[in-house]
Amino acid sequence: MKLPMVGVTIAVLLSIAMALVSAQGAGPRRYVAPRTPDGHPDLQGVWQVRNTAHWDLQHHAGSYKTPAGLGVVVDPADGTIPYQPAALAKKNENFKTRETDDPYEKCYLAGVPRTMYLPLPFQIFQTSTEVAIVSEYVHTWRWIPLTPLPRYPGYESWMGDPRGRWDGDTLVVETVGFNDQTWLDHAGNFHSDALKVTERFTRTAEDVITYEATMEDPKVFTRPWTIRMPIYRHRDLDRILENECYLYAEEVGKPIRGQHPEP
Amino acid sequence: MQTLPRFLLTFVLLLPLAASAQTPIARPAQSGGCPTESIAFHACAVAKARTFTPPRTADGKPDFQGYWRSRNNGIAYDVEPGEGSFAVPPTGGEIIDPPDKKIPYQPWALAKRNELRTKSFEDPQGHCAPSGAPRKNNTLFGWRLMQPRGFVVFLYESMHDYRIIPTDGRPHLPASIKLWHGDPVGHWEGNTLVVDYRNLNGKHWFDMSGNFQTENIHVVERYTMFDPDTILFEATIEDATMYTRPWTLAFSLERNKEVGYYQLEYACHEGERDLQHFTGDTGRGQSQQFKTEEQK
Repeated sequence: MKLPMVGVTIAVLLSIAMALVSAQGAGPRRYVAPRTPDGHPDLQGVWQVRNTAHWDLQHHAGSYKTPAGLGVVVDPADGTIPYQPAALAKKNENFKTRETDDPYEKCYLAGVPRTMYLPLPFQIFQTSTEVAIVSEYVHTWRWIPLTPLPRYPGYESWMGDPRGRWDGDTLVVETVGFNDQTWLDHAGNFHSDALKVTERFTRTAEDVITYEATMEDPKVFTRPWTIRMPIYRHRDLDRILENECYLYAEEVGKPIRGQHPEP
Repeated sequence: MQTLPRFLLTFVLLLPLAASAQTPIARPAQSGGCPTESIAFHACAVAKARTFTPPRTADGKPDFQGYWRSRNNGIAYDVEPGEGSFAVPPTGGEIIDPPDKKIPYQPWALAKRNELRTKSFEDPQGHCAPSGAPRKNNTLFGWRLMQPRGFVVFLYESMHDYRIIPTDGRPHLPASIKLWHGDPVGHWEGNTLVVDYRNLNGKHWFDMSGNFQTENIHVVERYTMFDPDTILFEATIEDATMYTRPWTLAFSLERNKEVGYYQLEYACHEGERDLQHFTGDTGRGQSQQFKTEEQK
């Protein structure tokens, strides 16, 4: 009775060993994301980055109230945002006044792609026809239709007018319709109202979305450029809470005022 | 050359105004085949819901997805019936219980409400605050409703606000954390979505007329489709520290079927140009709620 059992055990061990060898031979095994009922990768959950892109997209040493960090610009390969000369001068001016002029300091809507790498969580919801990205920061949502929907012409907004589609296992979101009021980070990196952002969301591990965003803006940049970063799933949060930035400012007696028009 | 077309354009633009000045704004007296007076509406909608079978989502729940807006007899201004006042039109009220359509205030709370009624600059909505429950459904704007598996998600046009309602019956957050959004937890009772709201921070008003809340508020909302394009919305409000008994309001949510419609951005705080009038810089208004302890 014992001999066959030993034989079975050896056979099982052998097959496991062979599977391991063949997996190694084929390179790292490709992660297969869980699926929604309609068969697309399931991106739903509570997510947040763990980097310093919010403070500066480019390589930067630490400074007052700013953590040091490696840049997230992957194209151009040197990690430098390809500004036109006049735009670079404006970026450098922005940097000097960032403590007051960063729209985030005024609790304004953070724009795209910055909303995706704020130091605050967001939650993704999916159906077969639409995706919603709902952020804690000043109760913001991005609604992304996956079906054809003509855009309203001449639309200008803080968060843009997104359209989504699946490219294999990657959710691709193209957004236009921006104003020129948001910054891309606290370091003063900026864009104009001609900005087009193409984002790619790929779930590459159980707790990781690999996030890419390509910025095109012929008024500001010499060519398109791309950032890439992992976004991590919260295992210990089953709901997002809230970050009512401008109400908190009022509560401590520091209300944020807009420019009052001259009489 | 430009004078004539401009004159014509102005004339055309003013035509509807001239017409409306002579005729009261016509409100269809029906919603989903029911009268819009709150108590009659509620009875009619409940009766219709008994025999109505709603469409289903893939996981078998009633399918409420799409664009909606409320038909609410002026509740955005005042949940009680009223003759109107400065910036508040006459309202029909939406309370169905108590039957006199008045909020059953304790005397101190009624006195405070009457004082706040004269201070509409203290309305948190005027400060771009999320509107809480049930007020978010009272706005003059609509919302998109999504039903990803296990959730009902409201994406509101007004102030890009949202509600995320898990329908897995999870426990509420600890009572010590109070939120502008509160903590909604939902479940399905037959064809009705029931949402239990706790953890509201008590800073909300129900409307623009000073009907305030405390952080002890407990709201139960019920959504029942009774017609392919109409939902009965009910909310029961409890707060033993300010009311003599629970009270209930009800109104109609109607589907927006406009082809090609989608919600544009309603940025609120970003366009702010008048906060000095809310916070007392000009001496024209003194908002207690948003002043520091020292300022008070």
